[in-house]
Amino acid sequence: MTTVTRPFRKILIANRGEIACRIIWTCKEMGIRTVAVHSDVDRDSLHVRFADESACIGPAPSAQSYLNIPAIISAAEIFNVDAIHPGYGFLAESAYFAEICEACNIKFIGPRPDVIQLMGEKVEARRAMQAAGVPILPGSPEALESEEEAMKLAREIGFPVIVKASAGGGGRGMRVVRSEGELGHALETASTEAAAAFKNGDVYIERFVERPRHIEIQVLADEYGDCVYLGERECSIQRRHQKLLEEAPSPMMTPQLRQEMGEAAVAACKSIGYSSAGTFEFLLDEDHQFYFMEMNARIQVEHPVTEMVTLTDIVRNQIRIAEGEPLGFGQDDVIMVGHAIECRINAESPDTFAPSPGTITTFNLPGGPGVRVDTYVYPGYRVPPFYDSMIAKVIVHARTRDLAIARMRRALDAMVIEGIKTTIPLHLKIMDNADFQAGNISTRFMEDFLADKGTKERPLVTASAALTGGSA
Amino acid sequence: MSTGVKSAMGDQENKQSDVAPSSEGQPSERGHRDRDRGRRRHRNQPRHLEASINMAELRELIDLITENGLTNFELEREGFRVRVGRGTTIEDAAALAPLPPEKQHAADAGAPAASAVQSTRTSKPPHPGAQAEEAASEDQDLHIITSPIVGTFYRSASPTAESFVRIGSQVGPNTVVCIIEAMKLMNEIQAETTGEVVKIYVENAQAVEYGQPLFGIKQQ
Repeated sequence: MTTVTRPFRKILIANRGEIACRIIWTCKEMGIRTVAVHSDVDRDSLHVRFADESACIGPAPSAQSYLNIPAIISAAEIFNVDAIHPGYGFLAESAYFAEICEACNIKFIGPRPDVIQLMGEKVEARRAMQAAGVPILPGSPEALESEEEAMKLAREIGFPVIVKASAGGGGRGMRVVRSEGELGHALETASTEAAAAFKNGDVYIERFVERPRHIEIQVLADEYGDCVYLGERECSIQRRHQKLLEEAPSPMMTPQLRQEMGEAAVAACKSIGYSSAGTFEFLLDEDHQFYFMEMNARIQVEHPVTEMVTLTDIVRNQIRIAEGEPLGFGQDDVIMVGHAIECRINAESPDTFAPSPGTITTFNLPGGPGVRVDTYVYPGYRVPPFYDSMIAKVIVHARTRDLAIARMRRALDAMVIEGIKTTIPLHLKIMDNADFQAGNISTRFMEDFLADKGTKERPLVTASAALTGGSA
Repeated sequence: MSTGVKSAMGDQENKQSDVAPSSEGQPSERGHRDRDRGRRRHRNQPRHLEASINMAELRELIDLITENGLTNFELEREGFRVRVGRGTTIEDAAALAPLPPEKQHAADAGAPAASAVQSTRTSKPPHPGAQAEEAASEDQDLHIITSPIVGTFYRSASPTAESFVRIGSQVGPNTVVCIIEAMKLMNEIQAETTGEVVKIYVENAQAVEYGQPLFGIKQQ
């Protein structure tokens, strides 16, 4: 196999916040110069400070700055960069942006534009996965043409079913339907919501699982057809389809199931010609059958838990792959060690989830064994109200899940953030929750937890396990 | 904007003789560039600025700042950077750009002069890359034309053409004052005000960022 490698001298990071810092850290380790682009309100942001070069590309609104393709490309040209890393969100899954980078001779660190396009369109993605032999939830293969078609399919699948938008996600354009009588209305409202949110009112239906688990598989593929899976992440703890907490491995996973799911993901990658890092999101029903939900053709927020247990640097691999290097390792080389948990800390009230922008007055980062914090804030930093509210990710790694929970509790206790409200208290309550500790989680967890107000006693057995836990 | 690499046209202008890093009391002549790239860290090195500032100049500058009650003032020259502001410490700036020991003391001595009151934001964005040769207090009454895009600034329509405007030129709302090239497209920038050009903050073929000051107009 002939490989062609073009090492990068300089990368522009088309993003902000913690992921921009994350990318800069790895670039520094690789000796690659970094260019930060930022909106005017992000002038004092950490990623701007630590990048080698920077440019202000527009005012605060994302559409005029972080989504402003001409400004980003213009900056890339002025700084003469070799590649752009899009991070996650913003332009990370814009096939259009990836194409423009290609046209301007700038390497887009991610999959090819046509692959991004394919996996971004839900109905098309499902069809491609089905062709690749990946199990998909029983449902309509294409966008629904009529209510009659929907009714016929719903009867075949069996109620309850869920109506979902073809062009989007994140909970919008979705309606659960438990009986035939509700179907017509659900189709209408879901389609209207989808049209408003994603400019595309197409909907499809699939079987609805009451208490599913959201398990995702991390893949890495080079540009020569080699691909591996780096295990799974359990991401069932979500509020309104936004993840709050993730862990690796999943407490319910078995080696056999992991292999089945991982091999299905790898087969899918090869069939669509995927390259770079990516994540296959699966839904597991109560019988632990797994079904494809969607694929994210980018690095994900929760990638650190995979990095901790597999001892890999996913950003580094993305860069190497984009430079044209072969993967360099096979599935047999992938290891999984211990247990990692990540808590997303948002600048929000832990009770009402109302956003809490403002100036951080006191800030203490937890440290010590097995603790990693990915953040972009610092004492005196003013959290702007224009962007998403996540200010830090606290990740712990320990030998066992019990030890990781104790470690997370300890780390969150030591994480002091004053001046704004944060969701740290919420995460502490989750750590103390009996169901969470037992690994009894599904995507219904947060709903039940918040209804309960999460008041379940911390069992003493876990505390003493931490004290006598051994060498982790 | 922080730049270490210049545009293609700009490279022509960089062919200056190397000048040793500035020593105390010996500010370099205008037009010489400090080619000591090894000392460049994070922040911008506007090409045309003088290479240093001496302690007497620094004390004078700090007096000027405090007398005029400025809330934020940022000064950058090759190898040196200071930010004086309410709530911002000199240590922050010193940490970002390495300072020779004698200048470090001068900067620290200046810090107590800044008053510790919460700074207020004006409605205009803060002016990035404020240039050293204009003390900020003089510009308070000027209308500043800032760059609306990221690109390369040109004074004229082509290398051989006359500049659109110069110091003293009168401008009206539709007067084209410069071109900013982005992705091979030449964008004409209009004054959008009436008055006289009294300050020009950037050089021909300089890379500019969104919000960067281009011209100071005395409005009429």
